[in-house]
Amino acid sequence: MNFFLHIIVMIATTVPNVLGFNLLFGRGKIFHFGPLGVSIVAAYGIFLVTIATDSFTLGIAAGLLVVSLASAFFAWLSLRLDADGFGVMSIAVHLGLLAVVLNWSSLTRGALGIPRIPRFVFLDSTLDFALFSTVVAAVWSYILWKIDKGPFGRKLIALSEHEWHAKSLGIDRPQVHLIAFLLAGIGALLSNVLYPQYLYLLHPSDYGFPGFVFFVTVVVAGGPGSVRGCLLSLILLSFLREGLRFIPMAPDILGPLRLILFGLILYIAVYCRRDLLFPKQRTV
Amino acid sequence: MLSLSHISLTIGEHRILSDVSCSVDKGEIVGLIGPNGSGKTTLFNVISGFLAPTHGTVHLRGLDITCSSSSRRAQMGIGRVFQNFGIFREMTLEENVLVALEALPKADRTQRGNLRKIAGETLEMVGLQSHAKQKAGSLSGGQMRLLEIARTLMSGKEVFLLDEPTAGVSPKLTQQVADLILQLKKQGKTILVVEHDLPFISHVCDRVIVMDVGRVALTGKPDEVKKSKELRELYFGADPTT
Repeated sequence: MNFFLHIIVMIATTVPNVLGFNLLFGRGKIFHFGPLGVSIVAAYGIFLVTIATDSFTLGIAAGLLVVSLASAFFAWLSLRLDADGFGVMSIAVHLGLLAVVLNWSSLTRGALGIPRIPRFVFLDSTLDFALFSTVVAAVWSYILWKIDKGPFGRKLIALSEHEWHAKSLGIDRPQVHLIAFLLAGIGALLSNVLYPQYLYLLHPSDYGFPGFVFFVTVVVAGGPGSVRGCLLSLILLSFLREGLRFIPMAPDILGPLRLILFGLILYIAVYCRRDLLFPKQRTV
Repeated sequence: MLSLSHISLTIGEHRILSDVSCSVDKGEIVGLIGPNGSGKTTLFNVISGFLAPTHGTVHLRGLDITCSSSSRRAQMGIGRVFQNFGIFREMTLEENVLVALEALPKADRTQRGNLRKIAGETLEMVGLQSHAKQKAGSLSGGQMRLLEIARTLMSGKEVFLLDEPTAGVSPKLTQQVADLILQLKKQGKTILVVEHDLPFISHVCDRVIVMDVGRVALTGKPDEVKKSKELRELYFGADPTT
């Protein structure tokens, strides 16, 4: 029972972040390879302030502020650079932020992470956590599904399919990008206000490249842009990822094996969905 | 309505447009013709804001829009049909029309009321209402062109830039496109159309501008231009009758 509750928490706390990434990468075809960079900013922003002030309200407000700034920065970069250039730059920004967290030990405790992360008072047990995070995930999924099916989703598709045609209809690319990045940033905030609380630990290893590979795998395997597909794919891949823990193998073998397995799934998913994944380049 | 004043465009060492000046009055249909590479589509790109001119200005209703973004110009009333198909293939036909209506300024959207109803009427106008929920990628080339033109025309713009609207379209659909354009003229819309189909140009246009190597070579009524020696020389080289 505890294992299933654990899986539910893992899935539900990942949903907001993955769906935000799906909006950008899957629906908008924006090569944003730094979603975990925004997650780092969100998690450390929230919990450094929460611990310092002993107030979740202030922590979440600080998190919202820094996430908005980070999202606006990524949006600005996406407008300044071409698609591939932005992809490379977003990786660089993610790794830069990770390097700051790992090396600014006096503030972040570096590679040791921050232990004794406080929890919301109403989240006593794993069951409470599972219920609360599922409600948050369900509400966020519904909101993003509505946005995706509405005028904003259509504008995002139009820009991803053909930027010039979309602009000639009056679609404002900077505005659409900014809103999309802010929505993804709010998703990162929701995920990262919950996940470290569940573990009682904020650890930089949760924000490394393997985590990003998992996000990409979920979005590509679920069908880029599809909210339902991403949710289904997240559930299946989370069961696979957590289920691998039961294989009797040494952790130093299991870790790389898991990466290889997810790499293989990603390879197959990209191969099968290559038509949906990349922007359609057309000349005018 | 729309006026271009001394537009020049240089990319690298190549002069693409040289001192192009022209204007289009409200309710006028002007044809823009000329050999391939004469700068017609580039001029459209300058008017719609995708290329910034090296020199010169673009005015819409007397307002200088030279520095406005392409989306801003669209919101100010410039609509464009591109040379290639501008249909969003991942969307349904209805969504393709809706996205154009939803991109209008808020006041215009509110004034127009039910956008889905307008989208339905647009599809009905071009006989595609039975395919409303179908993905646009499944349409034939001619149907895509019709949908694109209808979408642009119904988006309430005042000035239309149509870049080869009959390219890849059957003769029957070409007539339908011509009818749509003439219908717009009746509504007082201003249209600038690039075409290679001279009979089509003669049929729908009030005036023709002939471009060659990035400059305006000739301008006049369609019949006058058609008979002119300069036009024959531009398209076929030296006039064989001389």
